Amino acid sequence: MYIDQEKCIGCQKCLNYCPVAAIEYSGRSKDQKAYAFINRDECVECAVCYRARVCPTDAFVQEALDWPRILRSAFSDPFNPHKGTNVPGRGTEEMKTTDITNRFPEGTIGIGLEFGRPGIGLRLKETEPVIRRLLESGIKLEPCNPLTELITDENTGQLKTDAANEKVLSAIVEFIAPLEQAEEVFDIIREAAQATETVFSLDIVGKVSADGSIPVMQEVEKAGLRVAPNGKVNVGLGRMVAK
Amino acid sequence: MTHSLHRKGEPSDLNRDFVVLSMAAQGFNNVQSADKLREIFNIIVKYEPVNYGEVFSGPIFRSSNEEMLKNMKDNSYIHFVFDEQEKVAGFLRELKEADYAMSVVVSGVVEEVKKACEKAGLNMHTVNFSGGILGNTGRLPEASVLEITTMCGHGLISANLVKQMVLDLKKGRGDYREYAIDLAKQCQCGIFNPDRAEKILRRMVDDQ
Repeated sequence: MYIDQEKCIGCQKCLNYCPVAAIEYSGRSKDQKAYAFINRDECVECAVCYRARVCPTDAFVQEALDWPRILRSAFSDPFNPHKGTNVPGRGTEEMKTTDITNRFPEGTIGIGLEFGRPGIGLRLKETEPVIRRLLESGIKLEPCNPLTELITDENTGQLKTDAANEKVLSAIVEFIAPLEQAEEVFDIIREAAQATETVFSLDIVGKVSADGSIPVMQEVEKAGLRVAPNGKVNVGLGRMVAK
Repeated sequence: MTHSLHRKGEPSDLNRDFVVLSMAAQGFNNVQSADKLREIFNIIVKYEPVNYGEVFSGPIFRSSNEEMLKNMKDNSYIHFVFDEQEKVAGFLRELKEADYAMSVVVSGVVEEVKKACEKAGLNMHTVNFSGGILGNTGRLPEASVLEITTMCGHGLISANLVKQMVLDLKKGRGDYREYAIDLAKQCQCGIFNPDRAEKILRRMVDDQ
Protein backbone atom coordinates (compact mmCIF):
# COMPACT_ATOMS: atom_id res chain seq x y z
CA MET A 1 0.00 0.00 0.00
CA TYR A 2 1.17 3.50 -0.67
CA ILE A 3 -0.29 6.98 -0.89
CA ASP A 4 -0.05 8.83 -4.19
CA GLN A 5 1.69 12.04 -3.11
CA GLU A 6 0.33 13.92 -6.11
CA LYS A 7 -3.22 13.17 -5.08
CA CYS A 8 -2.87 13.53 -1.30
CA ILE A 9 -4.12 16.89 0.00
CA GLY A 10 -2.86 16.38 3.55
CA CYS A 11 -6.31 16.41 5.16
CA GLN A 12 -5.23 13.74 7.71
CA LYS A 13 -8.61 11.98 7.68
CA CYS A 14 -6.93 8.62 7.09
CA LEU A 15 -4.34 8.75 9.89
CA ASN A 16 -6.37 7.20 12.69
CA TYR A 17 -7.82 4.37 10.61
CA CYS A 18 -4.54 2.45 10.52
CA PRO A 19 -4.59 -0.30 13.19
CA VAL A 20 -0.79 -0.10 13.63
CA ALA A 21 -0.41 3.68 13.27
CA ALA A 22 1.73 3.32 10.14
CA ILE A 23 0.26 6.34 8.34
CA GLU A 24 2.33 9.40 9.09
CA TYR A 25 1.96 13.09 8.33
CA SER A 26 4.66 15.29 6.87
CA GLY A 27 3.62 18.45 8.65
CA ARG A 28 3.29 21.79 6.92
CA SER A 29 6.12 23.96 5.72
CA LYS A 30 6.58 26.95 3.44
CA ASP A 31 8.48 24.92 0.89
CA GLN A 32 6.30 21.88 0.45
CA LYS A 33 2.68 20.89 0.70
CA ALA A 34 1.55 18.71 3.59
CA TYR A 35 0.87 15.08 2.84
CA ALA A 36 0.30 11.71 4.47
CA PHE A 37 2.59 8.81 3.79
CA ILE A 38 2.83 5.17 4.81
CA ASN A 39 5.75 3.96 6.87
CA ARG A 40 6.42 0.89 4.74
CA ASP A 41 8.40 -0.90 7.42
CA GLU A 42 5.54 -0.66 9.93
CA CYS A 43 2.67 -1.22 7.47
CA VAL A 44 1.13 -4.72 7.74
CA GLU A 45 -0.76 -4.51 4.40
CA CYS A 46 -4.14 -5.11 6.05
CA ALA A 47 -5.79 -2.71 3.55
CA VAL A 48 -8.01 -1.10 6.19
CA CYS A 49 -6.97 2.36 4.97
CA TYR A 50 -7.86 1.47 1.38
CA ARG A 51 -11.22 -0.11 2.19
CA ALA A 52 -12.19 2.64 4.66
CA ARG A 53 -12.76 4.97 1.70
CA VAL A 54 -12.12 8.05 3.81
CA CYS A 55 -9.65 9.59 1.39
CA PRO A 56 -11.43 12.38 -0.52
CA THR A 57 -9.04 12.07 -3.47
CA ASP A 58 -8.66 8.26 -3.61
CA ALA A 59 -4.94 8.60 -3.04
CA PHE A 60 -4.41 5.11 -1.58
CA VAL A 61 -2.91 2.66 -4.04
CA GLN A 62 -3.01 -1.07 -3.40
CA GLU A 63 -0.12 -2.53 -5.36
CA ALA A 64 0.62 -6.16 -6.21
CA LEU A 65 2.97 -7.51 -3.55
CA ASP A 66 6.00 -9.72 -4.11
CA TRP A 67 7.54 -12.27 -1.77
CA PRO A 68 8.17 -11.83 1.13
CA ARG A 69 6.09 -8.67 1.54
CA ILE A 70 3.01 -10.58 0.41
CA LEU A 71 3.16 -12.39 3.75
CA ARG A 72 2.08 -9.16 5.44
CA SER A 73 -1.16 -9.19 3.51
CA ALA A 74 -1.64 -12.94 3.91
CA PHE A 75 -1.40 -12.68 7.71
CA SER A 76 -3.18 -9.34 8.14
CA ASP A 77 -5.96 -9.01 5.60
CA PRO A 78 -8.80 -11.49 6.27
CA PHE A 79 -9.95 -11.07 2.69
CA ASN A 80 -7.06 -13.26 1.53
CA PRO A 81 -7.36 -17.05 1.80
CA HIS A 82 -4.04 -18.68 2.68
CA LYS A 83 -2.71 -20.65 -0.27
CA GLY A 84 -1.72 -23.64 1.84
CA THR A 85 -5.01 -24.05 3.69
CA ASN A 86 -7.54 -22.26 1.42
CA VAL A 87 -8.96 -20.65 4.56
CA PRO A 88 -9.42 -16.87 4.77
CA GLY A 89 -8.76 -14.97 8.00
CA ARG A 90 -5.70 -16.28 9.85
CA GLY A 91 -5.74 -19.35 7.64
CA THR A 92 -6.69 -22.00 10.15
CA GLU A 93 -10.00 -23.78 10.77
CA GLU A 94 -9.00 -24.71 14.35
CA MET A 95 -12.09 -25.90 16.27
CA LYS A 96 -14.61 -24.35 13.92
CA THR A 97 -14.97 -27.60 11.99
CA THR A 98 -13.76 -30.14 14.55
CA ASP A 99 -17.21 -31.72 14.62
CA ILE A 100 -16.41 -32.87 11.07
CA THR A 101 -12.63 -33.26 11.13
CA ASN A 102 -12.18 -34.52 14.72
CA ARG A 103 -9.16 -32.23 14.90
CA PHE A 104 -9.40 -32.08 18.70
CA PRO A 105 -10.20 -35.62 19.88
CA GLU A 106 -10.89 -36.56 23.49
CA GLY A 107 -7.77 -36.78 25.63
CA THR A 108 -6.12 -33.80 23.96
CA ILE A 109 -5.75 -30.10 24.62
CA GLY A 110 -5.73 -27.59 21.79
CA ILE A 111 -3.69 -24.44 22.16
CA GLY A 112 -3.47 -21.30 20.08
CA LEU A 113 -1.04 -18.51 20.86
CA GLU A 114 -2.33 -15.62 18.81
CA PHE A 115 0.78 -13.47 18.61
CA GLY A 116 0.21 -9.78 17.98
CA ARG A 117 -3.43 -9.87 19.08
CA PRO A 118 -5.12 -7.68 20.00
CA GLY A 119 -3.98 -4.86 17.77
CA ILE A 120 -0.24 -4.77 18.48
CA GLY A 121 1.21 -6.84 15.63
CA LEU A 122 4.55 -8.60 15.46
CA ARG A 123 7.53 -9.50 13.33
CA LEU A 124 7.12 -13.15 12.37
CA LYS A 125 10.50 -13.96 13.94
CA GLU A 126 9.03 -13.11 17.35
CA THR A 127 7.29 -16.49 17.27
CA GLU A 128 10.55 -18.45 16.82
CA PRO A 129 11.57 -18.80 20.51
CA VAL A 130 8.28 -20.37 21.61
CA ILE A 131 8.14 -22.56 18.51
CA ARG A 132 11.66 -23.81 19.30
CA ARG A 133 10.71 -24.48 22.93
CA LEU A 134 7.59 -26.42 21.90
CA LEU A 135 9.50 -28.52 19.38
CA GLU A 136 12.12 -29.31 22.03
CA SER A 137 9.29 -30.71 24.15
CA GLY A 138 8.23 -33.00 21.36
CA ILE A 139 5.12 -31.04 20.49
CA LYS A 140 4.09 -31.08 16.86
CA LEU A 141 2.63 -27.88 15.49
CA GLU A 142 -0.60 -27.93 13.51
CA PRO A 143 0.43 -28.60 9.89
CA CYS A 144 -2.61 -26.85 8.38
CA ASN A 145 -1.54 -23.47 9.64
CA PRO A 146 0.19 -20.75 7.60
CA LEU A 147 2.84 -20.04 10.25
CA THR A 148 3.82 -23.72 10.50
CA GLU A 149 4.28 -23.70 6.74
CA LEU A 150 7.05 -21.10 7.10
CA ILE A 151 9.19 -23.28 9.38
CA THR A 152 12.31 -24.51 7.61
CA ASP A 153 13.96 -26.44 10.43
CA GLU A 154 11.77 -28.79 12.44
CA ASN A 155 14.38 -28.98 15.21
CA THR A 156 14.99 -25.29 15.83
CA GLY A 157 11.72 -23.82 14.59
CA GLN A 158 13.58 -21.38 12.39
CA LEU A 159 11.35 -19.63 9.86
CA LYS A 160 12.28 -18.92 6.26
CA THR A 161 15.03 -16.33 6.60
CA ASP A 162 13.50 -13.81 4.23
CA ALA A 163 10.11 -14.11 5.95
CA ALA A 164 11.25 -13.64 9.53
CA ASN A 165 11.32 -9.85 9.62
CA GLU A 166 7.96 -9.28 7.97
CA LYS A 167 5.53 -7.40 10.18
CA VAL A 168 1.96 -8.75 10.42
CA LEU A 169 -1.13 -8.06 12.50
CA SER A 170 -1.20 -11.56 13.96
CA ALA A 171 0.19 -15.05 13.53
CA ILE A 172 -0.99 -18.10 15.39
CA VAL A 173 1.23 -20.74 16.96
CA GLU A 174 -1.18 -23.66 17.01
CA PHE A 175 -0.86 -27.20 18.30
CA ILE A 176 -2.60 -30.11 19.91
CA ALA A 177 -0.99 -31.99 22.81
CA PRO A 178 -1.96 -34.99 24.92
CA LEU A 179 -3.87 -33.88 27.99
CA GLU A 180 -1.13 -35.37 30.20
CA GLN A 181 1.27 -32.79 28.76
CA ALA A 182 -0.94 -29.83 29.70
CA GLU A 183 1.12 -28.80 32.73
CA GLU A 184 4.33 -28.63 30.69
CA VAL A 185 2.51 -26.74 27.94
CA PHE A 186 1.26 -24.12 30.39
CA ASP A 187 4.80 -23.70 31.76
CA ILE A 188 6.09 -23.03 28.24
CA ILE A 189 3.32 -20.51 27.69
CA ARG A 190 4.24 -18.68 30.90
CA GLU A 191 7.88 -18.54 29.77
CA ALA A 192 6.79 -17.15 26.40
CA ALA A 193 4.68 -14.49 28.11
CA GLN A 194 7.72 -13.34 30.11
CA ALA A 195 10.01 -13.22 27.10
CA THR A 196 7.98 -11.71 24.28
CA GLU A 197 8.07 -8.05 23.27
CA THR A 198 4.58 -8.27 21.84
CA VAL A 199 1.34 -9.70 23.26
CA PHE A 200 -0.53 -12.88 22.52
CA SER A 201 -4.06 -14.04 23.17
CA LEU A 202 -4.31 -17.53 24.59
CA ASP A 203 -6.82 -20.05 23.22
CA ILE A 204 -7.51 -23.27 25.09
CA VAL A 205 -9.61 -25.87 23.27
CA GLY A 206 -11.28 -28.90 24.80
CA LYS A 207 -13.82 -31.43 23.63
CA VAL A 208 -16.99 -31.79 25.68
CA SER A 209 -17.41 -35.30 27.09
CA ALA A 210 -20.61 -37.29 26.83
CA ASP A 211 -21.45 -36.40 30.44
CA GLY A 212 -21.13 -32.69 29.65
CA SER A 213 -17.83 -32.19 31.45
CA ILE A 214 -14.79 -30.62 29.77
CA PRO A 215 -11.64 -32.45 30.96
CA VAL A 216 -9.36 -29.68 29.68
CA MET A 217 -10.82 -27.35 32.30
CA GLN A 218 -9.52 -29.56 35.10
CA GLU A 219 -6.00 -29.03 33.75
CA VAL A 220 -6.58 -25.30 33.47
CA GLU A 221 -7.68 -25.13 37.09
CA LYS A 222 -4.76 -27.30 38.23
CA ALA A 223 -2.39 -24.85 36.53
CA GLY A 224 -4.00 -21.93 38.34
CA LEU A 225 -5.14 -20.30 35.12
CA ARG A 226 -8.36 -18.41 34.70
CA VAL A 227 -10.47 -18.31 31.58
CA ALA A 228 -12.98 -15.67 30.53
CA PRO A 229 -16.72 -16.41 30.88
CA ASN A 230 -17.14 -15.95 27.15
CA GLY A 231 -15.83 -18.56 24.76
CA LYS A 232 -16.46 -20.15 21.44
CA VAL A 233 -18.66 -23.21 21.12
CA ASN A 234 -18.87 -25.68 18.27
CA VAL A 235 -22.49 -26.78 18.59
CA GLY A 236 -21.98 -30.12 16.86
CA LEU A 237 -24.22 -29.69 13.84
CA GLY A 238 -21.49 -30.96 11.53
CA ARG A 239 -21.26 -34.18 13.47
CA MET A 240 -24.87 -35.03 12.81
CA VAL A 241 -24.13 -36.49 9.39
CA ALA A 242 -21.34 -39.07 9.29
CA LYS A 243 -18.26 -38.41 7.13
CA MET B 1 -6.84 -19.06 16.79
CA THR B 2 -10.17 -17.37 16.61
CA HIS B 3 -11.38 -13.92 15.88
CA SER B 4 -14.56 -13.96 17.99
CA LEU B 5 -13.08 -15.45 21.17
CA HIS B 6 -11.33 -12.64 22.98
CA ARG B 7 -14.05 -10.01 23.22
CA LYS B 8 -13.54 -7.94 26.34
CA GLY B 9 -16.27 -6.39 28.46
CA GLU B 10 -18.52 -6.52 31.46
CA PRO B 11 -20.48 -9.78 31.87
CA SER B 12 -23.75 -7.84 31.55
CA ASP B 13 -22.62 -6.62 28.12
CA LEU B 14 -21.21 -9.95 26.98
CA ASN B 15 -24.44 -11.71 27.94
CA ARG B 16 -26.10 -9.96 25.02
CA ASP B 17 -23.36 -10.44 22.46
CA PHE B 18 -23.39 -13.64 20.40
CA VAL B 19 -21.32 -14.25 17.29
CA VAL B 20 -22.27 -17.06 14.92
CA LEU B 21 -20.09 -18.60 12.22
CA SER B 22 -20.64 -21.29 9.64
CA MET B 23 -18.13 -22.73 7.20
CA ALA B 24 -17.17 -25.92 5.43
CA ALA B 25 -14.20 -28.06 6.43
CA GLN B 26 -11.72 -27.82 3.56
CA GLY B 27 -10.99 -31.28 2.20
CA PHE B 28 -13.97 -32.81 4.01
CA ASN B 29 -17.27 -31.25 3.02
CA ASN B 30 -16.28 -28.16 1.04
CA VAL B 31 -17.26 -29.36 -2.43
CA GLN B 32 -20.42 -27.49 -3.46
CA SER B 33 -20.79 -26.22 0.09
CA ALA B 34 -21.53 -22.68 -1.15
CA ASP B 35 -25.14 -23.70 -1.84
CA LYS B 36 -25.53 -25.00 1.70
CA LEU B 37 -23.99 -21.83 3.09
CA ARG B 38 -26.53 -19.80 1.11
CA GLU B 39 -29.36 -21.78 2.68
CA ILE B 40 -27.88 -21.43 6.15
CA PHE B 41 -27.45 -17.71 5.52
CA ASN B 42 -31.11 -17.37 4.54
CA ILE B 43 -32.27 -19.14 7.69
CA ILE B 44 -30.11 -17.19 10.14
CA VAL B 45 -30.60 -13.76 8.61
CA LYS B 46 -34.36 -14.00 9.30
CA TYR B 47 -33.60 -13.67 13.01
CA GLU B 48 -32.53 -10.03 12.65
CA PRO B 49 -28.82 -9.98 13.48
CA VAL B 50 -27.34 -6.61 14.48
CA ASN B 51 -24.51 -7.19 12.02
CA TYR B 52 -23.51 -9.92 9.59
CA GLY B 53 -21.14 -10.56 6.76
CA GLU B 54 -19.58 -12.90 4.25
CA VAL B 55 -15.82 -12.84 4.27
CA PHE B 56 -15.37 -12.00 0.57
CA SER B 57 -18.10 -9.33 0.62
CA GLY B 58 -17.53 -7.53 3.91
CA PRO B 59 -20.09 -6.56 6.54
CA ILE B 60 -23.69 -5.66 5.71
CA PHE B 61 -22.84 -2.00 6.25
CA ARG B 62 -20.65 -2.17 3.14
CA SER B 63 -22.45 -4.90 1.24
CA SER B 64 -25.91 -6.38 0.66
CA ASN B 65 -27.62 -9.75 1.01
CA GLU B 66 -27.59 -10.13 -2.76
CA GLU B 67 -23.87 -9.45 -3.00
CA MET B 68 -23.08 -11.86 -0.16
CA LEU B 69 -25.14 -14.64 -1.72
CA LYS B 70 -23.52 -14.02 -5.09
CA ASN B 71 -19.98 -14.01 -3.66
CA MET B 72 -20.48 -17.15 -1.57
CA LYS B 73 -17.73 -19.69 -2.32
CA ASP B 74 -16.92 -23.17 -1.05
CA ASN B 75 -14.32 -21.60 1.28
CA SER B 76 -16.51 -18.72 2.44
CA TYR B 77 -17.42 -18.24 6.00
CA ILE B 78 -20.48 -16.36 7.12
CA HIS B 79 -20.96 -14.50 10.39
CA PHE B 80 -23.84 -13.01 12.31
CA VAL B 81 -24.06 -11.03 15.54
CA PHE B 82 -27.07 -11.35 17.84
CA ASP B 83 -28.14 -9.61 21.02
CA GLU B 84 -30.65 -12.21 22.27
CA GLN B 85 -30.12 -15.80 23.31
CA GLU B 86 -33.67 -16.69 22.17
CA LYS B 87 -32.82 -15.76 18.60
CA VAL B 88 -29.74 -17.98 18.73
CA ALA B 89 -31.83 -20.87 20.04
CA GLY B 90 -34.39 -20.23 17.31
CA PHE B 91 -32.11 -20.59 14.33
CA LEU B 92 -30.14 -23.42 15.91
CA ARG B 93 -33.42 -25.32 16.16
CA GLU B 94 -34.13 -24.65 12.47
CA LEU B 95 -30.60 -25.64 11.42
CA LYS B 96 -30.84 -28.86 13.37
CA GLU B 97 -34.02 -29.75 11.56
CA ALA B 98 -32.61 -28.76 8.16
CA ASP B 99 -29.57 -30.99 8.80
CA TYR B 100 -27.02 -29.46 6.43
CA ALA B 101 -24.14 -31.24 8.21
CA MET B 102 -22.18 -27.99 8.18
CA SER B 103 -20.24 -26.74 11.18
CA VAL B 104 -21.80 -23.93 13.19
CA VAL B 105 -19.97 -22.15 15.98
CA VAL B 106 -21.49 -19.75 18.50
CA SER B 107 -19.32 -17.41 20.56
CA GLY B 108 -20.64 -15.78 23.70
CA VAL B 109 -20.84 -16.35 27.43
CA VAL B 110 -20.47 -20.13 27.47
CA GLU B 111 -23.32 -20.69 29.94
CA GLU B 112 -25.64 -18.67 27.72
CA VAL B 113 -24.59 -20.54 24.59
CA LYS B 114 -25.12 -23.81 26.44
CA LYS B 115 -28.68 -22.76 27.30
CA ALA B 116 -29.35 -21.86 23.66
CA CYS B 117 -28.03 -25.27 22.59
CA GLU B 118 -30.25 -27.04 25.11
CA LYS B 119 -33.32 -25.17 23.88
CA ALA B 120 -32.46 -26.32 20.34
CA GLY B 121 -31.89 -29.91 21.40
CA LEU B 122 -28.12 -29.75 20.85
CA ASN B 123 -25.15 -30.62 23.01
CA MET B 124 -21.98 -28.54 22.94
CA HIS B 125 -19.30 -30.43 20.99
CA THR B 126 -16.08 -28.51 21.67
CA VAL B 127 -15.31 -25.28 23.51
CA ASN B 128 -12.54 -22.79 22.88
CA PHE B 129 -11.81 -20.78 26.03
CA SER B 130 -10.00 -17.47 26.24
CA GLY B 131 -7.01 -17.60 28.57
CA GLY B 132 -6.65 -13.83 28.25
CA ILE B 133 -3.97 -11.58 26.86
CA LEU B 134 -0.40 -12.40 27.90
CA GLY B 135 3.01 -10.95 27.21
CA ASN B 136 3.95 -7.29 27.02
CA THR B 137 0.49 -6.05 28.02
CA GLY B 138 1.82 -2.59 28.81
CA ARG B 139 1.58 -1.94 25.08
CA LEU B 140 -2.20 -2.39 25.08
CA PRO B 141 -4.64 0.51 25.05
CA GLU B 142 -6.94 1.09 28.02
CA ALA B 143 -9.64 -1.46 28.85
CA SER B 144 -12.58 0.55 27.48
CA VAL B 145 -10.84 0.91 24.09
CA LEU B 146 -10.17 -2.83 24.08
CA GLU B 147 -13.87 -3.50 24.65
CA ILE B 148 -14.45 -1.95 21.24
CA THR B 149 -11.38 -3.04 19.30
CA THR B 150 -11.61 -6.71 20.35
CA MET B 151 -14.99 -6.93 18.65
CA CYS B 152 -12.94 -7.33 15.47
CA GLY B 153 -10.67 -10.22 16.36
CA HIS B 154 -8.59 -9.74 13.23
CA GLY B 155 -7.46 -6.44 14.75
CA LEU B 156 -8.74 -4.17 12.00
CA ILE B 157 -10.28 -1.59 14.33
CA SER B 158 -7.74 1.05 15.19
CA ALA B 159 -7.43 2.05 18.85
CA ASN B 160 -6.49 5.55 17.71
CA LEU B 161 -9.72 5.81 15.73
CA VAL B 162 -11.75 4.92 18.82
CA LYS B 163 -9.87 7.47 20.90
CA GLN B 164 -10.38 10.17 18.27
CA MET B 165 -14.10 9.41 18.13
CA VAL B 166 -14.38 9.76 21.91
CA LEU B 167 -12.60 13.12 21.75
CA ASP B 168 -14.90 14.29 18.95
CA LEU B 169 -18.03 13.19 20.75
CA LYS B 170 -16.90 14.86 23.93
CA LYS B 171 -16.57 18.10 21.99
CA GLY B 172 -20.07 17.67 20.60
CA ARG B 173 -18.85 16.65 17.16
CA GLY B 174 -20.03 13.52 15.37
CA ASP B 175 -22.86 11.11 16.10
CA TYR B 176 -22.72 8.02 18.29
CA ARG B 177 -24.61 5.76 15.90
CA GLU B 178 -22.72 6.93 12.83
CA TYR B 179 -19.41 6.39 14.57
CA ALA B 180 -20.44 2.91 15.72
CA ILE B 181 -21.39 2.00 12.15
CA ASP B 182 -18.14 3.46 10.82
CA LEU B 183 -16.24 1.20 13.22
CA ALA B 184 -18.34 -1.78 12.12
CA LYS B 185 -17.42 -1.09 8.49
CA GLN B 186 -13.75 -1.71 9.23
CA CYS B 187 -14.41 -5.28 10.40
CA GLN B 188 -14.33 -7.36 7.23
CA CYS B 189 -16.10 -10.41 8.69
CA GLY B 190 -19.13 -8.57 10.06
CA ILE B 191 -18.67 -9.72 13.67
CA PHE B 192 -18.43 -6.23 15.15
CA ASN B 193 -21.42 -5.37 17.32
CA PRO B 194 -22.35 -1.73 16.57
CA ASP B 195 -25.07 -1.63 19.25
CA ARG B 196 -22.53 -2.54 21.93
CA ALA B 197 -20.01 -0.10 20.47
CA GLU B 198 -22.51 2.75 20.66
CA LYS B 199 -23.14 2.02 24.34
CA ILE B 200 -19.44 1.79 25.10
CA LEU B 201 -18.72 5.07 23.29
CA ARG B 202 -21.43 6.77 25.37
CA ARG B 203 -19.95 5.35 28.56
CA MET B 204 -16.44 6.43 27.58
CA VAL B 205 -17.59 9.99 26.91
CA ASP B 206 -19.57 10.12 30.17
CA ASP B 207 -16.60 8.76 32.14
CA GLN B 208 -14.08 11.26 30.81
